[in-house]
Amino acid sequence: MIALEGVSKIYPKQSKPAVTELNLQVPEGAIVTLIGPSGCGKTTILKMMNRLIEPTTGRILLAGEDVTDANGDQLRRRIGYVIQQVGLFPHLTIADNIAVVPKMLGWDKRRVTSRVDELLHLVGMEPGDFRDRYPRQLSGGQQQRVGVARGLAADPPVMLMDEPFGAIDPITRERLQDEFLEVQRQVAKTICFVTHDLSEAVKLGDRIAVFAARGRLAQYDTPSEVLAHPADDFVAEFVGSGAAVRRLSLLPISQLELAEIVISGAGAAAKDRPVLSVDDAGRPSAWHHVPGSERRPALVTVPLSATVYEAVDVMLDGHAPVVVVVDDDGQPRGALRWDSLVADLRPNGQPR
Amino acid sequence: MTAAAPGWIRRNRDLVAAPVIVVVGLAVVLLYTTNRQLDSVEQRALDPSYLWARFGEHIWLTVASTVVVIILALPLGIALSRPAAARIRTGTLAFGGFMQALPAYGVIILLAFLLGFGTTTAIIALVLASFLPVLTNTVVGLLQVDPALIEAARGMGMSARQTLLRVEIPLAVPVMVAGIRVALVLNVGTATLATFIGAGGLGEPISSMLYLGRGQAVLVTSAIVAALALLIDWLAGVAERLVSGRLG
Repeated sequence: MIALEGVSKIYPKQSKPAVTELNLQVPEGAIVTLIGPSGCGKTTILKMMNRLIEPTTGRILLAGEDVTDANGDQLRRRIGYVIQQVGLFPHLTIADNIAVVPKMLGWDKRRVTSRVDELLHLVGMEPGDFRDRYPRQLSGGQQQRVGVARGLAADPPVMLMDEPFGAIDPITRERLQDEFLEVQRQVAKTICFVTHDLSEAVKLGDRIAVFAARGRLAQYDTPSEVLAHPADDFVAEFVGSGAAVRRLSLLPISQLELAEIVISGAGAAAKDRPVLSVDDAGRPSAWHHVPGSERRPALVTVPLSATVYEAVDVMLDGHAPVVVVVDDDGQPRGALRWDSLVADLRPNGQPR
Repeated sequence: MTAAAPGWIRRNRDLVAAPVIVVVGLAVVLLYTTNRQLDSVEQRALDPSYLWARFGEHIWLTVASTVVVIILALPLGIALSRPAAARIRTGTLAFGGFMQALPAYGVIILLAFLLGFGTTTAIIALVLASFLPVLTNTVVGLLQVDPALIEAARGMGMSARQTLLRVEIPLAVPVMVAGIRVALVLNVGTATLATFIGAGGLGEPISSMLYLGRGQAVLVTSAIVAALALLIDWLAGVAERLVSGRLG
């Protein structure tokens, strides 16, 4: 747990504060994404948490302990730090880069070596291949994986990440985000994650802190709350017109009531319900009949574990007004219809 | 090792040129000289034991002054590169540029009148003449270290001192060594002026033979100084290559 209490920052020779009276609590084991327009002070706020920037007033609490006046270098060894430029030391091997903090903490050689290998495994890099390479021999995505491993090196309870995937191409970024969430499931760190990308904030954050100019905390809530109920005009404008679509990516299909489907040949023909043909294993093979459409639409399926966003994506892609939801064994569990989706997601939820 | 040798040679082919030029040049001059009749004055100036003693003085002047420059200019350069020194950095470097612009010949004579004739004064003059390249390269080398690396180092909990010793200096070493190389070469050349204040060196046979109109001896001694300068530059180049080799 890390918390800021009444923290302000006034830079010398500037009359107006960069951050004003900020209270922010990051709960244990959660990812909080800090987002806001350029120059809103989100990076300043992050750097005050490990006191790379000293706050002018207020207190910083790490696991309940007041660290506002603790030794800054000692404090920073207890907090992981990952930056956009990665900042791997070009004159050190990958293993030595990861080992920097453990060595400063006086770990013995064997413990450092096994920790380095463990972390390389964790971020999906084969230690034998990468341990002795130099940073310049790695791609940008690999470098940032090492950056994350280095941040985790001494197993700090808290990680601060400043746009770690900001300089990486969109496809690799997407993959790194997925891997990052997978790593977080295993390590369960308390993480502050600065980003300027709303999709990233929504995807990664358990909670989102939206900042307005001068470090004013405009809203601090779960992603779906921020998207559905912006606290004020600023947040509404910042979240923007894409908010409804973004919310779909937060909504798992398993939380929706699915339309019933009938398996063809299993009883009376149902005129008002979709009828599905299945193969020998019980997996859907084709539509037998779909009410309200003349021709039988193409069969598209989506797993129960997917989000509504993914369901919409396959519907648009397959020109299908209805999609079969299947469970892990490929058995049909229900259907999701385009028209009911649109109706249910109306802000007022009024039926057609 | 044997498998790596061809690549190693190919990468460093440019380093072969200087030694070849030195050997061939000296051989040509020596051949030319041995086929000529030398008078007693020339024979005395080109006597091996006499030349060897002047050579020793020359090396001492060069090495001593360069070591003093390193001892003084490196710490000063490191201090100037710290953020706290940002305000006086430009001024100090400009002053260094001014000192550098003074002609070494004038400085060495003036210093002799102030501090007396002899080797110590010559070394001080050489230090003044070669101070700036080392200072500038130290400052530039440290300032060109990517700020993101310094931020990462501090963010991980390295103290300012650890960041300097483990990150900044190792990354600045190639540029710093390049500055020391320039200082060495400057000092080899300027040390020929030491003879005018009685500090010996290879400048002594050159200036005396020039005075007495013995072109043959001037040629030989000048060739030795030139060869020495090339060789020292070559050695420093090899050292530079070794140091920066790790960084590719």
